[in-house]
Amino acid sequence: MLKKIRSHSLFIAMLVLVLMLSACSGDDTSSGSSGGDGDKVELTFWNIWTEPSPQNEASLKQIEKFNKEHPNIVINQQSIPHDQFKVKVKTQAAGKQLPDLVQVFPGAELKPLVDGKLVQPIDNILSNWDDLIKEGQLGDYRVDGKQYALPANITPTSLVYYDKDMLKEAGYDEFPQTYDEFKKLIKTLKSNDTIPIALGNKAQWVLQSSYISTIGDRMTGSEFLSEVLNGDKKFTDEKFIDAVNVIKELSDMEAFNEDFNSIDNIQHRDLFAMGDAAMMIDGAWSLGPLLESVPDKNIGIALFPQIDGGEGDPSAVSAVTGTGIALNSELEGEDLEAAQEFLKSFYSEEYYQNLMKADILVAADIEPPSDISPLLREVSKLTNGQIAPVYDATLPTDVTDTINSGLQEVTLGTMTPEELAKQLQKAVEKSK
Amino acid sequence: MHLLSRSKWPAFVGLAPAFLIYILFAIVPILISFYYSVMRWDGFTEMEFVGLANFQEALTDPIFWQSLKNNLYVVGASVFGQIPIALFIALLLNRKIKGGKFFRTVGFMPVVISTVIISLVWGMMYNSRIGLFNQLLESIGLESLTQNWLGDPKWSMISVCITIIWQFVGLYLIIFLAALQNIPEEIYEAARIDGASGLKQTFYITLPMMWDSIIVAVILCISGSLRTFDLIYVMTSGGPGHSTEVMAMYMFEQTFSSTRYGYGSALSLFIFFFSLALVYLSTRILRRKSV
Repeated sequence: MLKKIRSHSLFIAMLVLVLMLSACSGDDTSSGSSGGDGDKVELTFWNIWTEPSPQNEASLKQIEKFNKEHPNIVINQQSIPHDQFKVKVKTQAAGKQLPDLVQVFPGAELKPLVDGKLVQPIDNILSNWDDLIKEGQLGDYRVDGKQYALPANITPTSLVYYDKDMLKEAGYDEFPQTYDEFKKLIKTLKSNDTIPIALGNKAQWVLQSSYISTIGDRMTGSEFLSEVLNGDKKFTDEKFIDAVNVIKELSDMEAFNEDFNSIDNIQHRDLFAMGDAAMMIDGAWSLGPLLESVPDKNIGIALFPQIDGGEGDPSAVSAVTGTGIALNSELEGEDLEAAQEFLKSFYSEEYYQNLMKADILVAADIEPPSDISPLLREVSKLTNGQIAPVYDATLPTDVTDTINSGLQEVTLGTMTPEELAKQLQKAVEKSK
Repeated sequence: MHLLSRSKWPAFVGLAPAFLIYILFAIVPILISFYYSVMRWDGFTEMEFVGLANFQEALTDPIFWQSLKNNLYVVGASVFGQIPIALFIALLLNRKIKGGKFFRTVGFMPVVISTVIISLVWGMMYNSRIGLFNQLLESIGLESLTQNWLGDPKWSMISVCITIIWQFVGLYLIIFLAALQNIPEEIYEAARIDGASGLKQTFYITLPMMWDSIIVAVILCISGSLRTFDLIYVMTSGGPGHSTEVMAMYMFEQTFSSTRYGYGSALSLFIFFFSLALVYLSTRILRRKSV
């Protein structure tokens, strides 16, 4: 009797466990998308357009328009907040259950999806955008020579914001054109007892994203990172070490506020906004907040000056593109055609116009509308030249971690640029 | 008792749900962690079995050793900072002084304030340009002693540890006060009759009587220090360089920011065994002194 009850209770316990487990694994979002009822093609689409920002609204409008113009195709879209989106894509990708269309982030974020054979290239329809999107703006969504998505907006990560009044006081009507003059400016500002460049590198990515991405490009040229990744070049290349030395030199000559390792990028923007510092090197993301907090400030924007002996284009600026949409690798036949049709309709000239009107720089070759803010127009003009890759959007994440903390150590003097180069090369080789 | 000795199964059935949940949420993840730790996996592509390579890498990873060293530093600062200070204040507060309650509340306050807020406020106080400490030093003419507290690797760990000590002294203070109040007054009376002075009472009665509480505090202190994460994460993010990196943070970065799930799992197992060993060791050492 006792034995029987025992085995019963064990059975019940097992049953409870099984029920609990099966409850957890419900809600399958399978990517199988075939036909459905009648002739309608249904496509699932995940994006991050949850907030009512101008950019999101412009994007959602494109979907609406497409649905109206294509009665046979239904886009079932699901908007998920940015951070959760990334986690969701990562976990669903691990289970090979991505939707038909998925918003993707460039470079290092896209590569694992390609390596896992979860998304498919769109090269066969690329000619559709020949007149609209320039070759140089496509790079972030290209992996191993194949195009996986198209860019919509573009965000320069490395602009020099300067206080025109403070520079004038120091005797500069124009922003210096060369690095040597730039250093002279820093010395003059220092002797005037102002902080030359506001920097907050506590989170470590600022020196990488806003500094080395452009300074490195000045020295090595824009092909360097991809050449390093495919093994043709090495981080120990002299030109790259020279680029790191520029950062070391700036920190050695105390161009930054002395607490730059213990404040963050919001705090360095405040330093600049309050007039404690004459310059800051920051991405385009600071433009809006700056205009909002100090609308009367006389701000100029320039690119990092030319460096002697550099192999890169001195008018290049590191920038990262966004709002790409990739196609699930399992799409074929009718579904694939519908998805491609969607991309063609989505990335239209009208969309880029709408984005520009919302003060967003776009990755397309269009005439800007007349009513955009003058500073945005200036940024737009500055970034019209060559686009250089941003390090953390190009390198594998563990290499990015190495360069992030390494640059900080270089400014502290606990690591030499040569040592950092060696470590980076080691990290690249390990990540293969 | 009599009932249980005859048939044990009702007890098992009663315990089963809790036990199941414990297995599901504590034991299984640890086992999964073992499984991941022998794999190379970025979360996207296929897992690849790499044997003990992750553990091997951890053993030769200078940053991991640095983070371990920093962790030991935190453990040391906590055990030899928090506990003696808390004990000292508790002994003072245990006398009948005016405003004892007030001091107790004030002392306990840091424990209930959110760590993020503590980190931000202390971060501002440490700031080398506008921070309280440097301005204080300057205002009393000790300009030569001002430091770049969090921005200089020589000082960053010390600065972080001071904040950690400050944050948790209150917790042990309360534990010790509770222990002190449980010591019967008669023992002291007897001691006084025998002519034992205040200091002698402290060393021969108070401390031995509360030794068990001290052991508990030490264990709490060690395990808490090994888990330390949030305060340092907000204050310095492990920087500058890796000078304030601790194991939990390094594990977190490797796993979720570098997406190296396998290596991160190996690191977390190291942390697991290391904590186990340290807690075991400390109880062994302290038990021997127990009365």
